[in-house]
Amino acid sequence: MFLDYIQFVLAPQMVTGLSLGMAVVLVALGLTIIFGLLDVINMAHGEFYALGAYLALALGASGVSFWLLIVIVPLLMMPIGYVVERGLIQRVFNMPDRHVTTLLLTFGLGLVLEEGLKVVFGPTTQRPATPIPGAVEVMGVILPTYRMFLIGLGAAIVIAVALVVNKTRLGAMVRAAAFDRNMAASLGVPVERVFAGTFAFGVALAGLAGVLLAPIYSVFPTMGRDFIFLAFTVVIVGGMGSIAGAVVAGLVITQIQALSSLVVSPVWSDPIVFSIMVLVLVLRPQGLFGRLGHG
Amino acid sequence: MVDINVVEAKGTARPKRVIDRLGLAMRASHVLVALFVVAALIFAAVGVIQDDRFFLRLGTEALIFAGLALSVDILLGYTGLLSLGQALYFGLGAYVSAVVLKEVPSFWAAMAAALVVALVIGFLAGLIANRVRGVYFALVTFGLAQVAARAVYNTRSLGASDGLIGVPVVPIDLGVITVMSNSPAGFFLFTLGFIVVLYAVCAYLLDTPFGRVLLALRANERRVPSLGYSTRNLRLSAYVLAAVIASLSGALYPMLRGFVSPELLFFTTSGNAVITVVIGGVGTLAGALYGGVILTVLKSVIGSLTEHHLIVIGLLFMATVIFLPKGIMGVVRPLIERMLRGGKR
Repeated sequence: MFLDYIQFVLAPQMVTGLSLGMAVVLVALGLTIIFGLLDVINMAHGEFYALGAYLALALGASGVSFWLLIVIVPLLMMPIGYVVERGLIQRVFNMPDRHVTTLLLTFGLGLVLEEGLKVVFGPTTQRPATPIPGAVEVMGVILPTYRMFLIGLGAAIVIAVALVVNKTRLGAMVRAAAFDRNMAASLGVPVERVFAGTFAFGVALAGLAGVLLAPIYSVFPTMGRDFIFLAFTVVIVGGMGSIAGAVVAGLVITQIQALSSLVVSPVWSDPIVFSIMVLVLVLRPQGLFGRLGHG
Repeated sequence: MVDINVVEAKGTARPKRVIDRLGLAMRASHVLVALFVVAALIFAAVGVIQDDRFFLRLGTEALIFAGLALSVDILLGYTGLLSLGQALYFGLGAYVSAVVLKEVPSFWAAMAAALVVALVIGFLAGLIANRVRGVYFALVTFGLAQVAARAVYNTRSLGASDGLIGVPVVPIDLGVITVMSNSPAGFFLFTLGFIVVLYAVCAYLLDTPFGRVLLALRANERRVPSLGYSTRNLRLSAYVLAAVIASLSGALYPMLRGFVSPELLFFTTSGNAVITVVIGGVGTLAGALYGGVILTVLKSVIGSLTEHHLIVIGLLFMATVIFLPKGIMGVVRPLIERMLRGGKR
């Protein structure tokens, strides 16, 4: 009886939670890197995620294979992110109250992007076919193959990003620019390009998340909005600017959500997530982990 | 013309009131609000002559949402804290007012209930939200509103996703005259008066030492405690004040429209209030009123051309943030200030 419960209820629920967790981690990763380096809260991040999903949908409809999309869409998102950073965010970067100003600016950008998606793609919900259909059986538990793939790929991406940031010369430049902008600049780091590049990278991650999640959560213009609260919570709980924090917080929070929904109505999932956020903010305002480039 | 540059206080009967830069800015805001009222009265007169219903009610709605924007401006303009969830109190006031009106059709009972609930919830939520600053404050307020919206959205007795309909028409007994909430011109004028009173209360409070210390807090949070002020109580007071203003404005909504819906609590409502304040001019109070009207006009004008008016509003908003960080008031108010100074300097 108990084993049955684990096999048919608990385990599938945890895997569903884990795949959602990976999804949230991918979105939160871009958010946290952008904050950690640029000190910018990207309110348009959810809309970049939606844009990635729509690009995948449009390209997929014209015959591009899913595997190619995983590569193409982030590459398409990079220049968009780069232009947004140089054209918009740099303009207000040195105004007083950078947090609020950039937040407002990206909030406006999000509005425009979301409405733009409605104009171009229509307001209806669309759902691309699952790229890897079927299910696999692991120790008697039946799990959808695509979700397993998503978990694996998500883990690989997170590890790759962490390696790039922590082990490469490029990563060292990024961290140096985050730690002390002026010092890094005086040592020859092209700080402005690093900033724009990092923003582009974060946006590309959001786009990649869009490609990967479209087959599970469907594609609609406001899809970013539904996701962003969770992603922000993850970033706050994990510590703004911390990659490890985003991963740990993302996985833990989605597991709490998944498992609590077995006991209480899913209606309470938002309040539960919010209470976690408030609790962490009250006890440890800087979040669970430190900040990118700081220690 | 009163000479307001006089700083000397002779030992004679009464020292002249000293008006500094902030006081002058506040006076300029008063002038702008006075102009606003005049324009609104002309609008109402034209509406009555034309026997109009639609535009008067649209104007009333603009004024109600200007009240919400006013509350965002108290936080953003005076404490530097961006609330992304001010719709929480607006919706709260609207729902409380609707529930009360459906039980007892008394205007004053509804307003009193909205006031009390805003004081209590504002105090409790303020304890949470004021533990954090900057970006975190924005996200905590966003989260609080999100949770409240979900809760209302899923509560059957509050009408769930449909909201509450059938809020009766109420007589508003003002002692001298009684205004019916379904009279387009009457309710418009009442709302105008109400919002001006809210403005006056805010302007008065923020022109006292309380407001000055809030501004100091915004400039340098570490130094203010060393001057002997409790930052926590100050910020909490500002937060509760903003909650009350939003709630009282929201309480008028069901009287105008006859219903309330969970959308009032959604992020769109909070976001619109932020757009209103930024376009109007942060930290000017008068900017909230002008912004509210500008946004409503834009919405109905552009909205009649395309259903995707949000693109235009979003672009305008972004342009304001980049090119006019002080909003429209940032352009207009210095002109008024110069006039008040009597053209000197």
